[in-house]
Amino acid sequence: MTAPDGNSAPAGQAPTMEDCLARIAESGDRRAFSEIFAYFAPRVKGFLMKGGASPEEAEDLAQDVMVKVLKKAKLFDSSKASAATWIFAIARNARIDAVRRASKPDLDANEPMLTPEEAPRADFLCELKERNARIGIALAKLPAEQLDVMKLHFYEDEPHSSIAERLGLPLGTVKSRLRLAFEKIRKELEEDA
Amino acid sequence: MSKANHHPRRETLADYAAGRLDEARAVVVATHLAMCEQCACEVAELEALGGHLLETAEPVPMAIDALETVLARADATANIVLPASLTVDRFANEAPERRLPLSEYLNGSIDDVKWRPVAPGIAQHVIEAEGYRRGVLRLLKIAPGTRMLEHSHRGEELTLILRGAYKDEIGEFSVGDLADLDGEHTHQPEAFGDEPCICLIATSAPLEFKTMLGKIAQPFVRL
Repeated sequence: MTAPDGNSAPAGQAPTMEDCLARIAESGDRRAFSEIFAYFAPRVKGFLMKGGASPEEAEDLAQDVMVKVLKKAKLFDSSKASAATWIFAIARNARIDAVRRASKPDLDANEPMLTPEEAPRADFLCELKERNARIGIALAKLPAEQLDVMKLHFYEDEPHSSIAERLGLPLGTVKSRLRLAFEKIRKELEEDA
Repeated sequence: MSKANHHPRRETLADYAAGRLDEARAVVVATHLAMCEQCACEVAELEALGGHLLETAEPVPMAIDALETVLARADATANIVLPASLTVDRFANEAPERRLPLSEYLNGSIDDVKWRPVAPGIAQHVIEAEGYRRGVLRLLKIAPGTRMLEHSHRGEELTLILRGAYKDEIGEFSVGDLADLDGEHTHQPEAFGDEPCICLIATSAPLEFKTMLGKIAQPFVRL
């Protein structure tokens, strides 16, 4: 669960998830990895199941994601993203790749795999560490109806029209709730920024 | 990095960050992000939002042997081939255009593209990008002074300017600018300046022409 300050670290003196990723990058630290695994793997699985994956698919995909976390830890840069943000991006891309493979079974390994970036580029200037905490605060302040739609936006793969249908809401309502939620978060970030 | 004046709508960036765009539109957005720091920052914020929501997802226990399986698989796999979007840096010494995510799809530079004439002053190159969810990705080259036929879209259209410039009812668009149009917009772009305007265009549905001539020409132009 998100700590009140919006950071992803579990309570107490335990090393943060960001520290764990750094240790994996440095020395392939298995203990640090098992911490990451214990916290994130069940959340990635839950995230994928919320998005419509069966328990088996979600288990397989969550394992794929954790293999990538272990192998790509060197690419993680804690000044650019939190561990949760980085792992979210890996999970999102793994889901895109899975859909892609399902629709194109003869996929050539050399074909470009354009998925959104998992790590900001090295020349990327915006400072996200402090903003990340503010995003967590803004999210906690959202009214439930906006938060629910926001969750579905990130969790699900289905078009907004199917989400609207399932919630029994007009598409316009889903879109305006989402727009309001994004605006509130932007506003929070812009205040004395 | 030239400063863009026209950007994707926030909804489009939010769809990109959540992995909801079809591949054609994702390529256009990713290419714009490589040219526009402001939008790249906004996407990073949206991804941070995704990170917080991942943490609030209800945990579902993994299989008992999942950790061992993952460790064994990590040992067994050779180094993972990074996706195109992570390998932008290997183009670091090349011309700016070749460093764009689009380069992966072109297999080289825009200069090497094989253009096919589709109408006077207009040439096209269709790019294969149908990996997941249907969408159409193409490059258009429009000679200065050429006016496109007036059209609207049943779906959505993203247009990114890679070279030259065009103007339409919305304003002037030059390198790095992105026009993010939904089905309600009608526009008639006209290329201007000294060089042809090259745009990267993703459409989720075929264009709909407004004039009779456009309607007659459509099957031939095959836009």
